[in-house]
Amino acid sequence: MSNGVKNKMSKDNSSKSQELDQYTASVLQNGISRRSFLTRAAIGTGGLAVAGLGVGTASATTAPVVVGEQFGEVGGATVSFLPKPIAIADADIASTQTFDVIVVGAGASGVPAALSAREAGASVACLQKQAFAVSQGNTGSGVDLKTSDKSAVEALVNRLMADNQHRSHPGLIRKWAYNSGEAVSWTIDRIKQGGGQVEDQGTEPQHGIHGIADKGDRLNFVTSFCGPKPYTTGDGMRALAKTAEKAGVKFFYNTPAKQLIQDKSGKVLGVIAQTRDGKYHKFMAKKGVILSSGDYQNNKAMCDFFIPDLKNFERKQQDRTGDGFAMAYWAGGVIEPVGHTKMLHDFDAGPASMCDMPFLVVNRDGKRFVNETVEMSLMNNYLKDEHNAGHYSQVFDADYMTQAKDWPGHLYSPEELKNYMPEEPGEKKGVFPSIANTYKADTLEELAKKLECDPKNFVATVKRYNELCKKGKDEDFGKKASRMVPVLKPPFYGIHRRMRISTICSGILVNENHQVLDADGKEIPGLFIVGNLGGGFYGGVDYPLTVFGLSLGRCYTFGYLAGKYVAGLKA
Amino acid sequence: MKKLTVIMLSLAMSIIAGSVMAKGDQLLDQTHFEKGIKCASCHGNAEPREAVTMMKCVQCHNTEKLAKKTQDMQPTNVHNNRHFGTESDCLSCHHVHQTSENACVSCHPRWGFKVP
Repeated sequence: MSNGVKNKMSKDNSSKSQELDQYTASVLQNGISRRSFLTRAAIGTGGLAVAGLGVGTASATTAPVVVGEQFGEVGGATVSFLPKPIAIADADIASTQTFDVIVVGAGASGVPAALSAREAGASVACLQKQAFAVSQGNTGSGVDLKTSDKSAVEALVNRLMADNQHRSHPGLIRKWAYNSGEAVSWTIDRIKQGGGQVEDQGTEPQHGIHGIADKGDRLNFVTSFCGPKPYTTGDGMRALAKTAEKAGVKFFYNTPAKQLIQDKSGKVLGVIAQTRDGKYHKFMAKKGVILSSGDYQNNKAMCDFFIPDLKNFERKQQDRTGDGFAMAYWAGGVIEPVGHTKMLHDFDAGPASMCDMPFLVVNRDGKRFVNETVEMSLMNNYLKDEHNAGHYSQVFDADYMTQAKDWPGHLYSPEELKNYMPEEPGEKKGVFPSIANTYKADTLEELAKKLECDPKNFVATVKRYNELCKKGKDEDFGKKASRMVPVLKPPFYGIHRRMRISTICSGILVNENHQVLDADGKEIPGLFIVGNLGGGFYGGVDYPLTVFGLSLGRCYTFGYLAGKYVAGLKA
Repeated sequence: MKKLTVIMLSLAMSIIAGSVMAKGDQLLDQTHFEKGIKCASCHGNAEPREAVTMMKCVQCHNTEKLAKKTQDMQPTNVHNNRHFGTESDCLSCHHVHQTSENACVSCHPRWGFKVP
């Protein structure tokens, strides 16, 4: 099978197959596409059956798949999460409009893509499923090239590859690294033009980058911050959409894209979308369609297939049904193979800057379960079961300000912590009051109850932990003595964090211009993907928190670049 | 005869119990039925019956007016929220043939809304 792919490619274009990077070659070999089904079916059922179906040539653009009339096929199994586009007759199309560029999805990559295409002179329509632009989080980051050394930027690329378990496309990481400073600065400026609340925080919030650059090398950031909470990037993108609208981008809200329009050669010509009255509308694209419709966390069947680790975690978002995956798949695109990258965080229960501080940590039973130097972004891996479902609590005592003063991150004083305590009266500032989840108590039993774990277990855990601290040897989980701080002096504090799914960040195979590749590794004319629907940028078990705001930074950057690129194509 | 009385009595009691329950926990199909809404008004006449989407709800219920009506709701106006503005899918919370649910509470544990 792998030979089949290779042979075919070397026949088509031997020099191109030589140039294929490891990442792309691997996704072509192992990813999910209509073509991979056809080829695998040929292996599975023997040449005879395939010849009988008339798909012996096994080309992505050939002929009807007889099996799988309604749904996509993976390894011969029908999968409901890849519904085949229904046939919509021309008579059922209520209107047809033509633009240079059609952007599907108004989020953190779609709105920048639409605006940047418009600024590059294209006429642009942006279709959005929801009633307005939608995004999450506060921070989006880029590298400030003017104040960074190239060797440091490359060290950062290397580090991100390692964070991604070396499964991502270095070309795409570099695309971010060398363009993000410009793109994030552009985004800040345009959000401001739309009346948005945003600032550049520079390198200061980047607690995770220490030690990456070699001694004497400079590594600096443009860190955009839409906030403080409850203001988020969602509000930021709505401000950016105002700028885009003023610039001439036409937004169509409550208008989800339903399918792509392709000609016989496979070229993508436009999109069919549906308005709330049930009517279909054609949006033709002279230069290209940019899909930026996000992840699929609310599509259970798809999650169970691609990332079964997520079964017991709560979803932070709604309506992320993976529509773009089905559209790209049926257009010939390749979905990254099983083992997608997830992002589970809780920056709201307590201060974000204390999330990776290695205080004592207990699960829902009140028991210690891990060496606490494991970062919050990875903690979900220890809490996948139905009972814990991502819940754990960080525990510390009255002396934390002195005991933990040299730990990585930034401590909040007891007074500042009150802002995260639902039991404290008064207005909360800079947080989401409904999900703040920090508690204080004079006894351990009382704290355990507030943290919703068994008091008996909790008291026993603290006792054992204090013994280990005294000994200076963590015989249970091997944490370093410098991180072993006992829990002795009241009041006691607990931050009850809930790891819920922010996003899934694996997607469809694209090249460095964000153009979708088919199962032969060839560009699908007219089809581009940015944001979390795009593949190649991650690949690890979890989204890395090395660069704070990498996800939104990548969304802004690739939206900005793809918009410009597609606008520059010949109509 | 005695047996029949027992049956009648228990029947009467269950009706009373039912009507007491209906005050707080009446399903929305009953509420709609009382206003003269027929099955076909939402599900159409064709077989198989149409599944109902939010588009049906908004034919009678204006989302913006609803948001205004509930603007003083505490701790937040669910009908104009950060996620969807005034356009949350009604059916995320309000069910018609089953008991409605508070869809906020899984993420916002202290929001104990009672959903009609």
